[in-house]
Parts: sequence; C-alpha cells; structure tokens
Amino acid sequence: MKLHTASETISFAKKLENESAKFYKDLSQKYGKEEDAFLSFGEENRKNIAQTERAYYGVITDAIEGCFAFDVETDEYTFETELADKANYADALSRAIEIEEKIIKFYSDAAEQSSSLMADVPRAFKMIAKKRRNREEKLRALLEK
Amino acid sequence: MALLEEPIKEVKVIKNYIDGEWVESKGEVVDVVNPATCQTIAKVPISTKEEIDAAVEAAKAAFPDWRRTTPLARSRILFRLKELLEENFEEVSRIQTQEHGKTIDESRGETRRGIENVEVACGIPSLMQGYYSEDIATGIDEWVIPTPLGVFGIIGPFNFPFMIPLWSAPYAVATGNCVVIKPSSEVPNSQTRLAELADEAGFPPGVWNVVHGGRTVVNGMLDHPDIEGIAFVGSTPTAKNVIYPRCGATGKRVIAQGGAKNFMVIMPDTNMRATIPALMTSFFGNAGQRCLSGANLLIVGEDDGFYNTFMDAVTATASGIIIGYGLDEAVQMGPVHDIEKKERILGYIESGLKQGAKLRLDGRKNIKITGDYPETCFLGPTIFEDAAPDMKIGSEEIFGPVMSVMRAKNLTEAIEICNASTYANAHAIFTSSGSHAKEFQYNVVSGNVGINIGIVAPMAFFPFSGMKDSFFGILHTQGKEAVRFFTESKVIIQRWL
Repeated sequence: MKLHTASETISFAKKLENESAKFYKDLSQKYGKEEDAFLSFGEENRKNIAQTERAYYGVITDAIEGCFAFDVETDEYTFETELADKANYADALSRAIEIEEKIIKFYSDAAEQSSSLMADVPRAFKMIAKKRRNREEKLRALLEK
Repeated sequence: MALLEEPIKEVKVIKNYIDGEWVESKGEVVDVVNPATCQTIAKVPISTKEEIDAAVEAAKAAFPDWRRTTPLARSRILFRLKELLEENFEEVSRIQTQEHGKTIDESRGETRRGIENVEVACGIPSLMQGYYSEDIATGIDEWVIPTPLGVFGIIGPFNFPFMIPLWSAPYAVATGNCVVIKPSSEVPNSQTRLAELADEAGFPPGVWNVVHGGRTVVNGMLDHPDIEGIAFVGSTPTAKNVIYPRCGATGKRVIAQGGAKNFMVIMPDTNMRATIPALMTSFFGNAGQRCLSGANLLIVGEDDGFYNTFMDAVTATASGIIIGYGLDEAVQMGPVHDIEKKERILGYIESGLKQGAKLRLDGRKNIKITGDYPETCFLGPTIFEDAAPDMKIGSEEIFGPVMSVMRAKNLTEAIEICNASTYANAHAIFTSSGSHAKEFQYNVVSGNVGINIGIVAPMAFFPFSGMKDSFFGILHTQGKEAVRFFTESKVIIQRWL
C-alpha cells in the first residue's frame, strides 16, 4: 500500500512504534535479564510518537505539501513481531535487529522524500532514525555478549 | 487507512451566540450539507435584522468594561482560548472537513494557522504599546496611545471556515474591541465550535458574538452606525462593489480581501522533484478553492524538451491524485463545496474549450472516488494547455481544481503577463537562480510573492497582503497591521503650567 499524505504517514509511523513497543514489552517479560533495556526501548518508542506528532501538528499548514509530500510503500517496512515457539534469546535479538532495520529505513526514506517540503517533520524523522541506529547497535552488542 | 470519526453526529439547529448566550434565531433555517457524503449535518438560521442589531447592541454595551480590562488580562483569556484550541485541535479540524470537504491534512493546517493568530494576539501587551517623545519643545512631551474603537464586524468566506475569522477576531478583542462574526452560512459549524471555546475561555458576555445568516446580516453590519469597521474576506465583486464602497459611505474602516488569479512561473532551472508536489498543493489542494491557489501555470523558455518533460510529470502526478472524503487519511483532494460551485467550474471548462484551449487532463471524466460517495460535488484535476491570459480561464477566478498552462519566452515576458492581470494576490516563481528570484520578487505586482512556494500564506505575524482587485483597503489582516486596524492613534501633547 502506498502512502502519500502526511496524515497517513504519521499514522503509519505511530503504528510501527506501537507494534515494536509491544514486541519489546513481550521480550522484557520473556527475558528478565535485559528487562530494563527492553522496557526502555518501549518508553523511547512512546517519546518517538510524541516527537513525530509534535513536529507534524506544529508545522502542518496549508502552505506546505501535506497531501503530496510522501511516496511510501508500506510493504517495504512491515515486520513480523511474533516469535516461533522454539525461538531462543538470540533469535529474539536477531528479530529485533531486523525490526530496527526496517524502521530505520522507513524514517530515513520518509525524511528523504519530504525534505524541503514538510519543514520540521523530516528533521524529526532523521532524529528518530539516528536514535534507532543507536538502539540497533545496542541490540547487536547484546547479541554478541 | 481508516476513515476518521466524524465529530458531528446529529443534525442540530445552530444558534446565534449573542451577549454570552446561545440564542435561537427567528429566521428561516437552511441545511448545511457535507459535500462528500451529501448528507445534511446541521441546520443554520438566516438571522434577521433584529438579531444582528441585538448582537451589535450587546457588543456596544460590553465595550466600556472590556476596554478597561487590562491588555494583560485580555491576553490571559486569549492564552486560555489557545489552550482550549490545542486541546480540541482534532475535533475542530474534523469539523472543517465534515462541513467543507477539504482533506484532514488541509483542515489541520487551517486549524494551526488559526491558532497561530491567537498566539500572536496573546502578545498584545507589547504589540499595542504606544510611543513617547520627551521635549518636543522645551517642557512639552508628546505620545501616542493606540486605543480601541468599539464594535467590529467580521465576515468570513466558505473556503476557510475556521481560520479566516481568526485573521481578525483575536486582534480585535485583544486590543479591547468587541466583535460580531458572521460565518459563511454554508460552513457555520466551525465558528460555532470556536464561539463555544471562546465562551469557555472566559470572554465576558458581549465581547465575542456570532450571528449566522446571509445578506440581511451583512447589510445589517454595513449599515449599522455602531459598527466601527468591517473585516471581510470573500469574492472580488462583493469586496469591490459592496463592502468597500458601503464602508466608505458609512465611514467605517475596512479590510476587504477579494479573489485572485495567481500565476505560478516555472523557470527551466527549477528543481522539478520538489516543484511538482508544490504545484499539486497549489492548484489542487483545497480543491482549488482558495485565494492563494495557483490558477495559471506559466512555463518560461522556448525549450520544447523541458516543456514536454515538465508537463508529462505534472500530468502524471495530477492524474494519480487520490480523490475522496477528506476524513479518509489517504485522500489528497476532496470535493468542491457544492453542486452550484461545481457547475460554475464546469462552465469555465466549457468556455476554455470554446476559446481554443486544449484539455490535457479532463477532470470531468472517469472520476475515481475512493469510497462509496456520490459524485455530486467531486471533480478531478483538470489541466488546460494552450491557454492564454485573455481567455476566461486565464483571467477570471475559477475557484476549482483547474490549471491553465501558458508559455512565456523569457522571465521579462512572464512578469509582464503576471502584471497584466487585474488580480495581484499571490504570484510565485519556481527557480534555482537567485538572480531570477530577485528579478521576479522586485518587478512582479503582487501582495504576496512566492519563491519556490506554491501557497504563499503569510504567517500570523506578517500581514496577509493583496493588491489590485485582490484587496480593497489599506491595512491588512494579521499581526501588527491588524493591531493598527483595530486601534486609533490617540496623540497626546502635554505641558505643565
């Protein structure tokens, strides 16, 4: 499915954040040794939603291209959050890294598409992509531990 | 994506808001129709002369106390209104989509623009400070105090039901005046909700009044001796032939913003990737129903290769625009407001064909509406080629999603074409050259000028300008000019004997 408007792109970003937050909440319950880290990821997701909405609702005006700023193919960024019954801790971390890669790509692509059109929104997307790159590194470190 | 929930769920008869009370009108009521669904969502009264007189009387009675309320106290009520608008941002936005038809992104944009005017007016303790000269002659001082005048009438159009009255009302009340707002009877719900929030914010009775209706209310405002001035936004014929002269005849201050025929000038050095979305927003956003919309696309240069490549991209993007009900987040263009407006636009398309322009994209045919909605008010993006400035489609305001494409040999000729228009609201240039931008900005006659901006909408702290047949008056809405409009300069010269 293609997204073109700012409203549906922001809603899609929110969906990605909520789904990945639920994934980390599940991990925190399943793998108690990294509970704090996983819970902090979920909390960061909540802040990402707030940051995105603040940027969007703060700058959306009829002077910018709210209905024509994006060309997002959602299939490229969707991910599976359910783990197989026999999945182990390493499998879970690998899945988390896959999820982060998809979400980083979404924010980066959406920022690129809307740069110079949507004022503060692409900036917010870039900042969140950066935060998620840091998260991805943390996950890789956990995997190698 | 899901359809967002409609905020208006039952059909109610809208009331006037006079002297802090919700008052049922004695006038006849007419239906307010959602243009996407064609369903009646409210009934609005066509108020009587007695009702507009009662509102003016209430405003006049409230003025002395409101004037004495300190600017700081007035600004605190405006701060409260701003907070309430933020809290109800989404509801207010969806009401606009439901009654006007614009997309949810466009409605949120309108809400944000409206709130920004409230925010600017919150700074009234600084904005309405006067100035002082000590010793204009030895021992004599002189100063200016901006003072409020009394009651102002604010008349809004259908295309921005929430925002446009907020270009004026916050400044009017912040400076100590009282207002009577007449929203368009086609879209009365937004101003009704705004008045509810103004009431909750704590404006004293009579300071903020809303009277719904039509000509009787407008005439009642224009003729009323206790109305000091009018801020009007609407069509040029009404601004030029009714509002402006009538205010002159009755000694009222006036802001009369009219229509437009904006040229979007495309230089061959433009950044095509960013320009195309800007043009889609400009020509087809709000279904072309705004005075800042692009109307004529003027492509500069004799390079047919550039022209063809550019027009292929414009046409391909326009033909892919998703049309439907604006509460569907995926929709990029909603319907025009009503069948009469659609018929008028269709008439212009016919006239374009008769006068020799060629349809590159015909919005009348094969309209693909997302969702199950009647085609009644929907129209697709339409693009004419071989249009000329002297054709009706090139010179008159269509107020619909129609792009008329023309060519100019060079920038000088392009500017001459822009300047020959009787309108001068918001011409824009798209270029990568600072030199071209500077030449255009300096020489074009236009109240608002865009450089790589398709909708030249001034922020709340700048005036919303306009020239020639797009504006009648001197001072404009928004920002410092609005503060000047709503105050008189009282000059005091003092000597102690």
